[in-house]
Amino acid sequence: MKEVKIKINDLSVFFNYIQALNNVSIEFFSKKVTSVIGPSGCGKTSLLRTINRMNELIPGFKINGEVVIDNIDIYDKKIDVVNLRRLVGMVFQRSNLFPKSIYENLIFAPKLHGINDEKELKEIVEKTCIRTAIWDEVKDRLNENALSLSTGQQQRLCIARALSVEPDILLMDEPASALDPISTAKIEELIFELKNKYTIIVVTHSMQQAARISDYTAFFYMGQLIEYEKTTKLFTNPVNKQTEDYITGRFG
Amino acid sequence: MERPFDIQIEKLRTKIIKMCSIVDEQVGLSINSILNYDKSLADLVIEIEEKVDRFDVKIERICQKLFALNQPVAMDLRLIMSALKINSSLERMGDLAVNIARNSKDLKNPPGFMQRLNFEEIARIAREMIKKSFDSFINSDAELAKSVISSDNQLDEFVKVNSKILIEIMKEKAENIENALIIHSVLQEIERLGDHAVNISEEVYFIIKAQSLKHRGDLDIEDSWNIE
Repeated sequence: MKEVKIKINDLSVFFNYIQALNNVSIEFFSKKVTSVIGPSGCGKTSLLRTINRMNELIPGFKINGEVVIDNIDIYDKKIDVVNLRRLVGMVFQRSNLFPKSIYENLIFAPKLHGINDEKELKEIVEKTCIRTAIWDEVKDRLNENALSLSTGQQQRLCIARALSVEPDILLMDEPASALDPISTAKIEELIFELKNKYTIIVVTHSMQQAARISDYTAFFYMGQLIEYEKTTKLFTNPVNKQTEDYITGRFG
Repeated sequence: MERPFDIQIEKLRTKIIKMCSIVDEQVGLSINSILNYDKSLADLVIEIEEKVDRFDVKIERICQKLFALNQPVAMDLRLIMSALKINSSLERMGDLAVNIARNSKDLKNPPGFMQRLNFEEIARIAREMIKKSFDSFINSDAELAKSVISSDNQLDEFVKVNSKILIEIMKEKAENIENALIIHSVLQEIERLGDHAVNISEEVYFIIKAQSLKHRGDLDIEDSWNIE
């Protein structure tokens, strides 16, 4: 059973005169992993950032169309962006932990959302670390600076931090592109585990990664959604010639 | 600029095409050795066998390398997957040709009852099926591949009828039994050759159309993607 979590209707995104997305309509399914693939500049990241309203800080940003999460248009004027971002977590290509302790990194967002009870905060830290399978590695060093962790651990801590406020949706922009194969495998295993609870959208340049981790794959080219299918279908029998050329490396 | 991967894929295709032509020759010689009671042709078939085995190993290695180093997808994935299966079919066809050749060598004298059978017609249909299946691969012709599959019933029917005639021939005279048994196995082997031509055609169709014609295509349903 697939249930639509995010519905995007006729979305066009502009940065001044540059159109990053062109009339994109797509539905992302609840508790599934969807990969977004395509060459650089195809609009993958713009799409991801549109889903938690991160583009708005960029001058010249303009949007047409709708982004609907759980039947609510997130670009509606009444929407509180801070609450939206609690619901829609994001993990970036490189870890962006605060230069604070592991513990403080993990309680930062819950505190922002009004949780001040020390016991409750401790529980959140433990729960998110266990959920992201990093607990054993950090439980004895929660007061150490988060930046002292390895790059792979830092990235998993970023995922744990994103989960600390119980989001429904997790957006990941190239979450493993700066990591070695072992750390990449850990992130991929984690994504696989997390999809039982969250709707996950991953932007990736690695076609193999998209094929390994996702249930659905969307191929974008020049701001347009070219093909959107079950991953097994898209990687074995794509319908569109451009998709076939891209995934088989014959592009251009 | 051609990518190294494309060069390897082309090499794979060329190897398969060469193997097709060797197997085609082997099958032709083995059948002619029966038709013309010519044991020297049978020896040739057995001699060629080593070449086929070499191709078999080589093609398997190329596929292994392509999988390991390129993680192929879509059309490339289908081609390499099917190349492995076509390779096995070709190797088995070579073995069948050798079996026919060995049978030909076992014949004590030219069987006098051959004109009562449709042997030439059976051999013609099988060879036609084999040729078409090879051509469909060489020219990436899905329709030609499909046409092979429909010829298989005709071949099977002919073999069935002729097996019955052979039983009659055995009943008639005891001295016929030995040769009739040999020709009976040859017919079974030709029938198996036809099956392999069908297998190859199914693979060709799959490479081009990404649809399975196996088991009359009944099982190629959306559900077959679910591994659980």
